[in-house]
Amino acid sequence: MARMKFLCDAERCIECNACVTACKNENEVPWGVNRRRVVTINDGVPGEKSISVACMHCTDAPCAAVCPVDCFYTTDDGIVLHDKDLCIGCGYCFYACPFGAPQYPQQEAFGVRGKMDKCTFCAGGPTANNSNDEYAKYGANRVAEGKLPACAEMCSTKALLAGDGDMVADIFRERTLRRSGRPQTWGWEQAYGAGV
Amino acid sequence: MVSVFGSRLAKMAALGLLVFTLTGCYESASDVTLYEPGVYKGSDDPLLNQAGSAEREDALRERFGGQRDR
Repeated sequence: MARMKFLCDAERCIECNACVTACKNENEVPWGVNRRRVVTINDGVPGEKSISVACMHCTDAPCAAVCPVDCFYTTDDGIVLHDKDLCIGCGYCFYACPFGAPQYPQQEAFGVRGKMDKCTFCAGGPTANNSNDEYAKYGANRVAEGKLPACAEMCSTKALLAGDGDMVADIFRERTLRRSGRPQTWGWEQAYGAGV
Repeated sequence: MVSVFGSRLAKMAALGLLVFTLTGCYESASDVTLYEPGVYKGSDDPLLNQAGSAEREDALRERFGGQRDR
Protein backbone atom coordinates (compact mmCIF):
# COMPACT_ATOMS: atom_id res chain seq x y z
CA MET A 1 0.00 0.00 0.00
CA ALA A 2 1.34 3.39 -1.02
CA ARG A 3 1.80 6.23 1.45
CA MET A 4 1.17 9.34 -0.62
CA LYS A 5 3.50 12.31 -0.18
CA PHE A 6 4.51 15.49 -1.98
CA LEU A 7 8.10 16.64 -2.33
CA CYS A 8 9.23 19.81 -4.04
CA ASP A 9 12.81 19.88 -5.28
CA ALA A 10 14.00 23.43 -4.55
CA GLU A 11 16.90 23.02 -6.98
CA ARG A 12 14.48 22.49 -9.86
CA CYS A 13 11.50 24.72 -9.08
CA ILE A 14 11.55 27.70 -11.43
CA GLU A 15 8.62 29.53 -9.80
CA CYS A 16 6.45 29.22 -12.92
CA ASN A 17 3.30 28.66 -10.83
CA ALA A 18 2.05 26.04 -13.29
CA CYS A 19 1.22 23.79 -10.32
CA VAL A 20 -0.98 26.53 -8.84
CA THR A 21 -2.73 27.03 -12.17
CA ALA A 22 -3.14 23.29 -12.75
CA CYS A 23 -4.68 22.89 -9.29
CA LYS A 24 -7.08 25.77 -9.76
CA ASN A 25 -8.07 24.58 -13.20
CA GLU A 26 -8.46 20.91 -12.32
CA ASN A 27 -10.48 21.51 -9.18
CA GLU A 28 -12.35 24.70 -10.12
CA VAL A 29 -11.04 26.29 -6.95
CA PRO A 30 -12.99 29.47 -6.12
CA TRP A 31 -11.52 32.96 -6.02
CA GLY A 32 -9.61 33.71 -2.85
CA VAL A 33 -8.67 30.08 -2.25
CA ASN A 34 -5.24 28.73 -3.12
CA ARG A 35 -4.86 25.07 -2.35
CA ARG A 36 -1.29 25.28 -3.59
CA ARG A 37 1.11 28.19 -3.80
CA VAL A 38 4.74 28.78 -4.64
CA VAL A 39 6.89 30.29 -1.91
CA THR A 40 10.17 31.96 -2.84
CA ILE A 41 12.92 32.51 -0.33
CA ASN A 42 15.32 35.43 -0.92
CA ASP A 43 13.26 36.57 -3.90
CA GLY A 44 15.30 38.67 -6.32
CA VAL A 45 18.60 37.74 -4.72
CA PRO A 46 21.02 35.48 -6.62
CA GLY A 47 20.54 31.95 -5.38
CA GLU A 48 16.87 32.39 -4.53
CA LYS A 49 14.96 29.18 -3.95
CA SER A 50 11.31 28.39 -4.57
CA ILE A 51 9.14 25.57 -3.37
CA SER A 52 5.54 24.68 -4.08
CA VAL A 53 3.52 24.20 -0.91
CA ALA A 54 0.12 22.65 -0.24
CA CYS A 55 -1.31 20.22 2.27
CA MET A 56 1.51 17.79 3.03
CA HIS A 57 -0.89 15.02 4.07
CA CYS A 58 0.87 14.59 7.40
CA THR A 59 1.09 11.12 8.89
CA ASP A 60 0.26 12.63 12.28
CA ALA A 61 -1.98 15.44 11.03
CA PRO A 62 -2.36 18.28 13.56
CA CYS A 63 -5.48 19.56 11.77
CA ALA A 64 -7.25 16.31 12.60
CA ALA A 65 -6.07 16.52 16.20
CA VAL A 66 -7.61 19.94 16.80
CA CYS A 67 -10.83 19.60 14.80
CA PRO A 68 -13.72 20.01 17.24
CA VAL A 69 -16.17 18.19 14.98
CA ASP A 70 -13.79 15.39 13.89
CA CYS A 71 -14.33 15.91 10.19
CA PHE A 72 -10.88 14.67 9.12
CA TYR A 73 -9.97 11.18 8.06
CA THR A 74 -6.93 9.54 6.49
CA THR A 75 -7.26 7.10 3.61
CA ASP A 76 -5.31 3.86 3.45
CA ASP A 77 -3.01 5.65 1.04
CA GLY A 78 -2.19 8.22 3.73
CA ILE A 79 -4.19 11.06 2.13
CA VAL A 80 -5.75 13.44 4.68
CA LEU A 81 -9.28 14.41 3.65
CA HIS A 82 -12.23 16.04 5.34
CA ASP A 83 -16.01 16.11 5.22
CA LYS A 84 -17.34 19.56 4.30
CA ASP A 85 -20.81 18.64 5.54
CA LEU A 86 -19.38 18.42 9.04
CA CYS A 87 -16.92 21.33 8.90
CA ILE A 88 -18.07 24.39 10.83
CA GLY A 89 -15.36 26.71 9.51
CA CYS A 90 -13.95 27.39 12.98
CA GLY A 91 -10.40 27.85 11.68
CA TYR A 92 -8.68 25.68 14.31
CA CYS A 93 -7.07 23.57 11.59
CA PHE A 94 -5.62 26.71 10.03
CA TYR A 95 -3.91 27.61 13.31
CA ALA A 96 -2.67 24.05 13.78
CA CYS A 97 -1.32 23.51 10.26
CA PRO A 98 2.40 24.37 9.94
CA PHE A 99 2.00 24.84 6.16
CA GLY A 100 -1.03 27.15 6.08
CA ALA A 101 -2.86 24.60 3.96
CA PRO A 102 -6.46 25.09 5.13
CA GLN A 103 -8.22 27.83 3.16
CA TYR A 104 -11.61 29.48 3.61
CA PRO A 105 -13.71 30.67 0.70
CA GLN A 106 -15.78 33.43 2.28
CA GLN A 107 -14.75 36.61 3.94
CA GLU A 108 -17.95 38.22 5.07
CA ALA A 109 -19.13 40.31 7.95
CA PHE A 110 -18.87 38.79 11.44
CA GLY A 111 -15.91 36.61 10.45
CA VAL A 112 -17.92 33.99 8.57
CA ARG A 113 -15.30 31.92 6.78
CA GLY A 114 -17.30 29.17 5.12
CA LYS A 115 -16.29 25.53 4.91
CA MET A 116 -12.60 24.82 4.99
CA ASP A 117 -11.02 23.92 1.66
CA LYS A 118 -7.63 22.31 1.15
CA CYS A 119 -5.60 20.15 -1.19
CA THR A 120 -7.14 16.70 -1.47
CA PHE A 121 -4.21 15.14 -3.35
CA CYS A 122 -6.80 15.12 -6.15
CA ALA A 123 -8.63 12.38 -4.25
CA GLY A 124 -12.01 14.11 -3.81
CA GLY A 125 -13.91 13.58 -0.60
CA PRO A 126 -16.49 11.43 1.14
CA THR A 127 -19.07 11.35 -1.64
CA ALA A 128 -19.54 9.11 -4.67
CA ASN A 129 -16.34 9.01 -6.73
CA ASN A 130 -16.32 11.54 -9.57
CA SER A 131 -19.90 12.60 -8.93
CA ASN A 132 -21.06 16.16 -9.52
CA ASP A 133 -21.49 16.59 -5.78
CA GLU A 134 -17.90 15.52 -5.14
CA TYR A 135 -16.56 17.80 -7.85
CA ALA A 136 -18.50 20.80 -6.55
CA LYS A 137 -17.37 20.28 -2.96
CA TYR A 138 -13.88 18.84 -3.25
CA GLY A 139 -12.77 18.98 -6.87
CA ALA A 140 -11.48 16.23 -9.10
CA ASN A 141 -10.87 12.66 -7.97
CA ARG A 142 -7.91 11.68 -10.10
CA VAL A 143 -6.61 9.10 -7.62
CA ALA A 144 -9.78 7.01 -8.11
CA GLU A 145 -8.90 6.93 -11.81
CA GLY A 146 -5.33 5.82 -11.11
CA LYS A 147 -3.83 9.26 -11.76
CA LEU A 148 -1.55 11.41 -9.65
CA PRO A 149 -2.38 15.01 -8.62
CA ALA A 150 -2.58 17.46 -11.53
CA CYS A 151 0.02 19.81 -9.99
CA ALA A 152 2.76 17.18 -9.98
CA GLU A 153 1.90 15.74 -13.36
CA MET A 154 1.93 19.24 -14.90
CA CYS A 155 5.31 20.23 -13.45
CA SER A 156 7.56 20.93 -16.42
CA THR A 157 10.85 20.52 -14.55
CA LYS A 158 9.55 17.60 -12.45
CA ALA A 159 10.41 19.61 -9.37
CA LEU A 160 7.14 18.70 -7.70
CA LEU A 161 6.95 14.99 -7.06
CA ALA A 162 3.85 13.19 -5.81
CA GLY A 163 3.26 9.58 -5.00
CA ASP A 164 4.35 6.84 -2.70
CA GLY A 165 6.78 8.27 -0.15
CA ASP A 166 9.41 5.58 -0.74
CA MET A 167 9.30 6.07 -4.48
CA VAL A 168 9.47 9.87 -4.18
CA ALA A 169 12.45 9.56 -1.82
CA ASP A 170 14.13 7.17 -4.26
CA ILE A 171 13.72 9.59 -7.18
CA PHE A 172 15.06 12.47 -5.07
CA ARG A 173 18.02 10.41 -3.87
CA GLU A 174 18.92 9.52 -7.47
CA ARG A 175 18.82 13.18 -8.45
CA THR A 176 20.99 14.42 -5.63
CA LEU A 177 23.56 11.74 -6.28
CA ARG A 178 23.63 12.75 -9.94
CA ARG A 179 24.19 16.34 -8.87
CA SER A 180 27.37 15.08 -7.18
CA GLY A 181 26.13 15.97 -3.78
CA ARG A 182 24.39 14.45 -0.88
CA PRO A 183 20.71 15.07 -0.11
CA GLN A 184 20.52 18.42 1.63
CA THR A 185 16.95 18.24 2.81
CA TRP A 186 18.33 16.83 6.02
CA GLY A 187 21.72 16.24 7.55
CA TRP A 188 24.45 18.18 9.25
CA GLU A 189 24.82 21.08 6.82
CA GLN A 190 21.11 21.70 6.70
CA ALA A 191 20.86 21.78 10.47
CA TYR A 192 24.06 23.66 11.33
CA GLY A 193 25.19 25.31 8.11
CA ALA A 194 28.16 24.59 5.90
CA GLY A 195 31.61 24.84 7.41
CA VAL A 196 30.52 24.23 10.99
CA MET B 1 34.28 30.19 63.40
CA VAL B 2 30.71 31.46 63.48
CA SER B 3 31.13 33.38 60.21
CA VAL B 4 32.53 30.28 58.41
CA PHE B 5 29.61 28.22 59.68
CA GLY B 6 27.24 31.04 58.70
CA SER B 7 28.56 31.36 55.15
CA ARG B 8 28.41 27.59 54.68
CA LEU B 9 24.83 27.61 55.94
CA ALA B 10 24.00 30.46 53.55
CA LYS B 11 25.52 28.52 50.62
CA MET B 12 23.55 25.41 51.54
CA ALA B 13 20.37 27.46 51.87
CA ALA B 14 20.99 29.11 48.48
CA LEU B 15 21.64 25.72 46.89
CA GLY B 16 18.48 24.34 48.47
CA LEU B 17 16.49 27.32 47.22
CA LEU B 18 17.93 26.89 43.72
CA VAL B 19 17.02 23.20 43.63
CA PHE B 20 13.56 24.02 44.95
CA THR B 21 12.92 26.71 42.34
CA LEU B 22 14.28 24.60 39.46
CA THR B 23 12.00 21.74 40.43
CA GLY B 24 9.14 23.66 38.86
CA CYS B 25 11.02 23.76 35.55
CA TYR B 26 11.07 19.99 35.20
CA GLU B 27 8.95 18.81 32.34
CA SER B 28 8.56 15.23 31.32
CA ALA B 29 8.31 14.64 27.58
CA SER B 30 5.85 11.85 28.20
CA ASP B 31 3.38 14.24 29.84
CA VAL B 32 2.85 16.14 26.59
CA THR B 33 -0.12 15.12 24.52
CA LEU B 34 1.19 15.14 21.00
CA TYR B 35 -1.71 13.69 19.13
CA GLU B 36 -5.10 12.57 20.23
CA PRO B 37 -7.46 12.73 17.28
CA GLY B 38 -11.13 12.10 17.66
CA VAL B 39 -13.05 9.49 15.74
CA TYR B 40 -14.13 10.60 12.25
CA LYS B 41 -17.83 11.32 12.29
CA GLY B 42 -18.48 12.08 8.62
CA SER B 43 -19.85 9.93 5.85
CA ASP B 44 -17.90 7.07 4.25
CA ASP B 45 -15.59 7.69 1.34
CA PRO B 46 -16.09 5.20 -1.53
CA LEU B 47 -12.39 5.67 -2.35
CA LEU B 48 -11.55 3.69 0.78
CA ASN B 49 -13.27 0.59 -0.64
CA GLN B 50 -11.22 0.97 -3.78
CA ALA B 51 -7.92 1.07 -1.91
CA GLY B 52 -6.90 -2.52 -2.54
CA SER B 53 -7.73 -2.43 -6.25
CA ALA B 54 -4.81 -3.96 -8.15
CA GLU B 55 -5.82 -2.17 -11.33
CA ARG B 56 -5.61 1.26 -9.67
CA GLU B 57 -2.36 0.37 -7.92
CA ASP B 58 -0.79 -0.60 -11.26
CA ALA B 59 -2.01 2.61 -12.90
CA LEU B 60 -0.59 4.71 -10.05
CA ARG B 61 2.73 2.86 -10.15
CA GLU B 62 2.99 3.56 -13.86
CA ARG B 63 2.38 7.26 -13.17
CA PHE B 64 4.98 7.28 -10.40
CA GLY B 65 7.52 5.98 -12.88
CA GLY B 66 6.71 8.82 -15.24
CA GLN B 67 8.19 11.27 -12.76
CA ARG B 68 11.69 9.90 -13.22
CA ASP B 69 14.05 11.74 -15.53
CA ARG B 70 14.23 10.50 -19.06
